[in-house]
Amino acid sequence: MLENYLPILLFIVIGVAFGLVPIAAGKILGPHRPDAEKLSPYECGFEAFEDSRMKFDVRFYLVAILFIIFDLEIAFLFPWAVALDEIGMFGFVAMVIFLAILVVGFIYEWKKGALEWE
Amino acid sequence: MGVEQILFYVFGAILVFAAGMVITVRNPVFAALFLVLAFFTSAALWILLEAEFLAITLVLVYVGAVMVLFLFVVMMLDINLAPLQEGFTRYLPVGIVVAGIIVAEIYFAVNAEHFGLQAVAEPVRHAADYSNTRELGRVIYTAYAYPFEIASAILLVAIVAAIALTLRAKRQSKYIQPEKQVIVRRKDRVRIVKMPPEREEPGTS
Amino acid sequence: MANSQVPNFFLALPEMWLLLAGCLVLVIDAFGRGKDRNTAYLLSQLTLAVAAVITVAMATDIRIFAFNDSYVSDMMGTVLKTFIYLVTAVVFIYSRDYLRERGLYQGEFFVLALFAVLGMMIMVSAHSFLTIYLGLELLSLSLYAMVALKRDDSDATEAAMKYFVLGALASGMLLYGMSIIYGVTGTLDVGQVAQRLASASEANNLVLAFAVVFVIVGLAFKLGAVPFHMWIPDVYHGAPTPVTLFVGTAPKIAAFAMIMRLLVEGLGDLHAHWRDILIVLSVLSMGIGNIVAIAQTNLKRMLAYSTISHVGFLLLGILSGTENGYASSMFYTLVYAVMGAGGFGMILMLSRSGFEADKIEDFKGLNDRSPWYAFMMLILMFSMAGVPPTLGFYAKLSVIQSLVDVGLVWLAVLAVVFSIIGAFYYLRMVKLMYFDKPVETAPLRANLDLRAVISVNALSVLALGLYPSALMNLCIVALTQP
Repeated sequence: MLENYLPILLFIVIGVAFGLVPIAAGKILGPHRPDAEKLSPYECGFEAFEDSRMKFDVRFYLVAILFIIFDLEIAFLFPWAVALDEIGMFGFVAMVIFLAILVVGFIYEWKKGALEWE
Repeated sequence: MGVEQILFYVFGAILVFAAGMVITVRNPVFAALFLVLAFFTSAALWILLEAEFLAITLVLVYVGAVMVLFLFVVMMLDINLAPLQEGFTRYLPVGIVVAGIIVAEIYFAVNAEHFGLQAVAEPVRHAADYSNTRELGRVIYTAYAYPFEIASAILLVAIVAAIALTLRAKRQSKYIQPEKQVIVRRKDRVRIVKMPPEREEPGTS
Repeated sequence: MANSQVPNFFLALPEMWLLLAGCLVLVIDAFGRGKDRNTAYLLSQLTLAVAAVITVAMATDIRIFAFNDSYVSDMMGTVLKTFIYLVTAVVFIYSRDYLRERGLYQGEFFVLALFAVLGMMIMVSAHSFLTIYLGLELLSLSLYAMVALKRDDSDATEAAMKYFVLGALASGMLLYGMSIIYGVTGTLDVGQVAQRLASASEANNLVLAFAVVFVIVGLAFKLGAVPFHMWIPDVYHGAPTPVTLFVGTAPKIAAFAMIMRLLVEGLGDLHAHWRDILIVLSVLSMGIGNIVAIAQTNLKRMLAYSTISHVGFLLLGILSGTENGYASSMFYTLVYAVMGAGGFGMILMLSRSGFEADKIEDFKGLNDRSPWYAFMMLILMFSMAGVPPTLGFYAKLSVIQSLVDVGLVWLAVLAVVFSIIGAFYYLRMVKLMYFDKPVETAPLRANLDLRAVISVNALSVLALGLYPSALMNLCIVALTQP
């Protein structure tokens, strides 16, 4: 069975090589004469005004975490969809309950305004 | 040594290297990216174990979603990194000793003698048309229906907790809704008040 | 696999009810208008009451399994669950004013608490490693969020952070231990693990000992036994007092159930392995808990260290490995939950807007301010110290008796010595209340329901202490069920 993954392995190997070769080539072939001024960070030709890392609004985080929760829910849907013909009514109802509980969460977040972006 | 074993050791080595880098690099963004590499190689190891569905889930959920969250958090925090690294060298000896002991214990307990082929039956190799996604689906929703529903309750608590802890009712931006701006009439904003004229006595000011 | 067979799932009716009611409270509260959160409060109390009725009505004489044996309904579960509802309901009553005065009176507090109760119920009735772990995670996740609920307070956030990081580490340890046991036995079912361990070959002894170490480290973290106790004082101190009250009481009952299911039912065959580890944990917990508590000036921190020492006592009964020992441990856990609720409840009763009443000196001269509540606190402190005729005395006595029964006399003597050391700081509280001049002179303003319940709480510690056999028999019956 694992032989079937050979193309993917080759793909990964070539992909890694494709990424590394140009960088290595540039490093080896190009002239490389750094000095302190060249290596110092600059912003539009000036000294950097502030740290490049700036604070993000916490709302981005909220959106990301809500996304992950529903992403996990989707992960549970895959095996269910594949095996639906074998698990019968019981499996179907199990998933309906699972989704219903998450819909409760969805109603809550909608009502609380967590999905709004002003 | 077969090809599979070589691949296992290659991926294993990358995994250990990436995991080590996660906790030693100074830049947290690099640490997060090394964590992506670690997840990715673990997924490769799972594929070697023929656990394809779990491997793909690991890539989808962890690499795709959890890492986005990590990067958000790293950017959101805007932390000064120097204090975080402060105790590192001081605690390093103790940490190495403890980690060394645990690694040695794992080596003596979880090894080929107890979990090798002479102790455990060799797992069956499945044909290419064997779907372990289907096999998982067959049991998760029937035999494991109870833990499955508990999982949904855990996800629900995660939603409630995330919203209760991060959502601010207060508006933070000064964004104006254009439709409200357009329907404003003069009488909503301007009030003309008639006042009697006041005359100052000359010389008092 | 049981594809067509519909499991016997009505056994889990209390859990289903709580899940349904929790979702309902969440939605109703989200749609509720204004600042008033009384609806959420009343519905939560109703939920607990109905759950108690269902649980008691469904109690059976025999153990019944459901969901492919991953759920068990038995007497121990019924008793423990009923106490969890009771303690949680009391927590809600004590917390109401405190939460309202500090802007924490939100539906989320009650919803998270209800889901934590659901997690505890799942743990209590779990009969598979998987359900034990999932119940534990549901409980922990709700508790982390509750600790952080006061989100602009740096102490509370720090406490939540420590709790979360150490809790996640503990879960990892527990899972690793479970996975090795699964590797050896090939099953997650507690009953089958026990069967296969009984017939496991000698060769696996080392692996199993290794797995047991990880499982116990995970359990000890969650219980807060020394040396895995570091989070307890910080979390108890940093969290809002109602959350401290909740974290410190009901989850201990669930933790006891988890130990019973995992160690006693599942890994009972490895008793020789875990007994010595538990001896070390309990001696350290009793010692460090009682000695460090003396140095505390904050009452919440003092009670946190007192919790650690009580955990040490709780482990004594379990490590004895006899039916009597388990029953006395169960008795101890239930008594501790009731005493703890009263102790933290007193802090809540004395607090008011802008005044936490969590310093030990805030209790100075309580007798001058209110002789009745000073007396209630006296009963609670005597009970925690183990002074007869309170309930705490019989809890300590029965645990120590079970140790003597199995010949661990030196450990029994050590337990007595540590409880005498511990008595010092409880009695110091009594001295402060009765013989010192009050610093705070404001009259008590707590609501009638809080006053009534706290009086009942403290008096029950005294009354049950006069007839300890009632509760003790309940514990013995619960554990000796076929």
